[in-house]
Amino acid sequence: MRAHSAFEFRASFSDLDEGLGILHQSITRLRHAIGRAEDDRPLMLFETALGEIGSNVLTHGRPNGTERPVEYALSFEGGTVVASLSDSGSSVQEHLTREMPAHDSERGRGLAIARSLLDELGYERDGNVNRWRLVKKL
Amino acid sequence: MALEVELRQVDNGVTVVAPTGRLDVAGAPALKDAIAEVVKIGPPRVVIDMGAISFVDSTGLGSVISALKQVRASQGELRLAAPNQQARVVLELTTLDRVFPYYATVEEALTGF
Repeated sequence: MRAHSAFEFRASFSDLDEGLGILHQSITRLRHAIGRAEDDRPLMLFETALGEIGSNVLTHGRPNGTERPVEYALSFEGGTVVASLSDSGSSVQEHLTREMPAHDSERGRGLAIARSLLDELGYERDGNVNRWRLVKKL
Repeated sequence: MALEVELRQVDNGVTVVAPTGRLDVAGAPALKDAIAEVVKIGPPRVVIDMGAISFVDSTGLGSVISALKQVRASQGELRLAAPNQQARVVLELTTLDRVFPYYATVEEALTGF
């Protein structure tokens, strides 16, 4: 029998600013639900990684004409936080292992930042859908 | 919340650029616009007051790199002040703290500028 999660949050969204706002609000709710301080470092690192993947999903994952919203879920159980995001953008497989670019580059750091802050960054191409899974022990 | 950016001139001619909100993919254009205004005036000395920035992502960081390029192209200088813990983590993780030595407060950034 599967144990109940200590915390669960689900949302779907399409708008960039609204979507990013919901991601940050979900972390605030989690922080309150599990009694972590405002400056809790592991949760802050997770939120930073979530912001990077969320930003990618909301900017590249919604090609013109797509009606499918981004699906988001956040859960916390047994001391581990897990976020999942899905979008209908093109495959990002080739970018997954991208290294941190040179100092003067204005872009291309998001996936490298997320990888380094998480215990696991999962990515799967499921038909025409990208599925992301972010895992960190808090 | 979109990023709001306030500009203020201080006595020694330095412009303090003070954004409020999230410096992320949604907020970065507002910072770029503000810096573009500042460099129009002449060789700029700029302090970005990060004290009211709640969150920085890699695109937001890209807008700070863009700001540095614009300011240097105008023979100016840029300093960062008062980044919060999250912003410092992102700066250190990307090793951009070597490019942007940051100051704990705006007052410290203005000293000797």
